Amino acid sequence: MSIKGELSAKEDLVIEGQFEGTIDVAEHTVTVGAQGQVKSEIRARQVVVHGSVNGKITAREKIDIRRTGNVTGDLQAAGVAIEDGAYFKGSIEILREGRAEAAAPARPAMTPRVS
Amino acid sequence: MLARPGRAEAGTDPWSAPAPSFGLRWLWQYAQDIPRPYVLDCGPIRSATLAVLLGRSGRLYRGDLISPLKRPDLWDRTRKTPVFRTEALLSELPPVASASLSIVFCWHLLDLLPREALAEVLLQIHKLMESGGVLFCLLREPRLEKGADAEWELEGLTGLTRAREGVVAFPYPALSNREIDRLLPTGSVKTFLTRSGWREVLVVK
Repeated sequence: MSIKGELSAKEDLVIEGQFEGTIDVAEHTVTVGAQGQVKSEIRARQVVVHGSVNGKITAREKIDIRRTGNVTGDLQAAGVAIEDGAYFKGSIEILREGRAEAAAPARPAMTPRVS
Repeated sequence: MLARPGRAEAGTDPWSAPAPSFGLRWLWQYAQDIPRPYVLDCGPIRSATLAVLLGRSGRLYRGDLISPLKRPDLWDRTRKTPVFRTEALLSELPPVASASLSIVFCWHLLDLLPREALAEVLLQIHKLMESGGVLFCLLREPRLEKGADAEWELEGLTGLTRAREGVVAFPYPALSNREIDRLLPTGSVKTFLTRSGWREVLVVK
């Protein structure tokens, strides 16, 4: 099955076919199954990828890319786990709530020890 | 000491505490005033490494330049002498703004790249680094003949270990520091020797 469009839901979602468009299930979990092929921006509470995703993924809690997962795109979440053997090309930004950046001292002189 | 036996042996290894890496120590001390550095990891996915780097990075970029080297389509064999398709390898890099990266990890990528691709790959990575950015490379010493399939991972910001011992022979001669100097003339090269046959080479842009 192949679907194009905008998908929003108020329950967990499992995708096993082809989907192209946007997925918005901000309060629930999206699982892209091993046969799933998604070309889409995904917004969810949690995202689990066993199949293929091409697009930006934003999760309030966690993005989990399993061993068979293949993801190309940028990830933004409070937590990200990628299993050894998965494919991922892109960037990861961890959402840190209310964490102040501490002032840091100046860089040391560039004279490392050579042993 | 940089490397220590693989994880399978860790239980019987008297040195089983994470081995400190002097290159990594220097790197993180150097980068201590960057609260959220932009980091690029050019190696195969290691979940342990990912967890460590995510704890320190503002943004972590990932693009594996090592695993694709095994793909036959990276060589153009229509000519008399096979030609390495460097642009196909570089397409594995994620989109990164020029001069934006604070730190790049290459593990032992430079030991595995064909000589004809070295300059272009290093130049591309160098372009992505900000001024003062650091390229961290793990390189073998000439005496180390096998280990091309070794896999490395971080056990902490300054603890580096081999997740898998390498048994495959290296395909190309070992790179010297002088060669790296020539390949990156605008960089300042620092080398930390280890007892295990590997060098940690850091290039500051």
